[in-house]
Amino acid sequence: MTTLAARALIAEDEALLAAALSAALQRLWPELEIIGVAANGIEAVDHALAAQPDIVFFDIKMPGKSGLEAARELADEWPEEQTFPLLVFVTAYDDYAVQAFEQAAIDYVLKPANDERLAKTVERLQARLAQNRKTGNPGNTSDDMERVLQQLRGITPVPAAQERLRMIRAAVGNQIKLIPIEEVIYFEATDKYVNVVTAGSESLIRTSLKELIPQLDPDQFWQIHRGTVVRIAQVQSAQRDEAGKLSLRLRTRPETLAVSRLFTHLFKQM
Amino acid sequence: MTTNATTIASRLSLIAPELLRGLVPTMIINLLCAVVVTYLMRIGAGFVENLVFSMCIGTTAMVLIDCGRIFLWGKDEPNKPGFFLMLLIFAPLSFFIGNAIASALIGRPIEWFTLSQANNTIGIIVLILLVCVGATLFYWNREKMAALEARNVIIEKQAVQAQLQMLQAQIEPHMLFNTLATLQTLISTEPIRAQQMLDQLIHYLRATLSTSRSTQTSLGQEFELTSAYLGLMSLRMGLRLTYSLQLPDELKPTPIAPMLLQPLVENAIRHGLEPKIEGGDCTVRVNVHDGMLIVSVFDTGMGLSTTTSYNKPESIHLGLENIRARLDALYGPLAELTLTHNIPQGTVAQITIPLTALDPNPTR
Repeated sequence: MTTLAARALIAEDEALLAAALSAALQRLWPELEIIGVAANGIEAVDHALAAQPDIVFFDIKMPGKSGLEAARELADEWPEEQTFPLLVFVTAYDDYAVQAFEQAAIDYVLKPANDERLAKTVERLQARLAQNRKTGNPGNTSDDMERVLQQLRGITPVPAAQERLRMIRAAVGNQIKLIPIEEVIYFEATDKYVNVVTAGSESLIRTSLKELIPQLDPDQFWQIHRGTVVRIAQVQSAQRDEAGKLSLRLRTRPETLAVSRLFTHLFKQM
Repeated sequence: MTTNATTIASRLSLIAPELLRGLVPTMIINLLCAVVVTYLMRIGAGFVENLVFSMCIGTTAMVLIDCGRIFLWGKDEPNKPGFFLMLLIFAPLSFFIGNAIASALIGRPIEWFTLSQANNTIGIIVLILLVCVGATLFYWNREKMAALEARNVIIEKQAVQAQLQMLQAQIEPHMLFNTLATLQTLISTEPIRAQQMLDQLIHYLRATLSTSRSTQTSLGQEFELTSAYLGLMSLRMGLRLTYSLQLPDELKPTPIAPMLLQPLVENAIRHGLEPKIEGGDCTVRVNVHDGMLIVSVFDTGMGLSTTTSYNKPESIHLGLENIRARLDALYGPLAELTLTHNIPQGTVAQITIPLTALDPNPTR
């Protein structure tokens, strides 16, 4: 077997399991350097962005951010000129996720991992790394990145349909303001709140975008970024800047909204 | 001898309520009989006098039959031939006794069985017999209905229990596999800790599987299960989880249905502490206050969502609804489950059950 050096990050909240995975990888792939263990999803994204590993092992169930959320965020934030890491998801038991991984052709390992199964994953990772290096690929070809994005889009959990929200109740001072959903132009997530923007006002509601999205009509409201959901009828145009970033111009608001990589495919020309 | 005496005593104690229950219907039947005798059979000296006789005879018949039934069969269903034989004897007997009482009440000499009235007497005895048979059949049907209803209540309870067992059969696979994965790691690196963890797992599995076979367990046993579960979780979560269990010794034998406490503790971990980056503490406490048993699960985790309600009956939280339904079926409407915010952070889940409802053999 050809061996080659590489750097990997493990994102796993249970220290013992992280140590176990690390030990198993050391056995099967001695040249692999484990550059660190991130104990939650947020740390995982920060660590990966800072250290730029070749491979990231993501536990699915982590505090802070799930492995999937973390991977999506990483794909959004990853610098264009760098090779995006190969992703491997790790899960204890999750029929749904495993099915989704199979369909999206994403690497995954089951916990408890046996060496045999892990060896196959290692082989595949080595083959892909070798190929990338042989082509002398200095950064991401946009095709590679697009393939990863495609895979990540493919495993977006479909939220259970809920009753549609007709009226937003926002606290303004000591009164509750009612905002009909028809007036909302976009929702923007801030730290613990969501900013509800209409033509002439902005109000904060105490909920998360994740809770809000299933209650919105997907034909009218499109998610265009981790933290933004826009009424699509309010979008006038989409344009790319010099850095290749896509942003949307609105009909009745002066500001532009950034579209993250995961959602740029929504704005391709017909 | 003593057992015989106690059965007779217990049967005696049954009679009074039975008689009271039968009084009003008997009065109505008596009134109808007086009408029939006076206006259809045209016997006797008039309605008022006949009513006195009817009341005396009818009430005597009821007392005789009820006493006979309870003495011979107690609360069980009488066997039919025996019962009708009893009616055959009691109908004429009640005629004679009632007749004597009525005559005494009105102040007339008792007219036993004069030849001129022989036909009438036989007619009346037949009437009494028919009424007795009719009334008995009516009661039997009614009792059958009541028995049927009681059976339905039992079936409903059994359905709740079956649901519970299904619930228990679902040891969360995620938890199990993660635990096994940890165990697999420890076996090679720290065999002693692996041994401890395996003990906890065995304990947890045994407690979970054995409570699924019984419908009733004790707070002590439930706490052992909880302790094994939290022990496993703390091995996995490391410093992120601290916990304490507080159950006063005198409450350990308190009977309680299984799987009321455990889901709340698992919720506290799964929704409260596991998703929280820095983790936190879980405290389980039982106390008695004002005749209520209060089981509380405190966590310092993520806390409740502010946009959904956890305490409304229509709440979408299936696990909580299941606990509520079972509390209601097993302990009545005074038993409840509430979720509130823990101060300064996290959640308090609290089950309240009236001590009087915690009968180990609920017959309700």
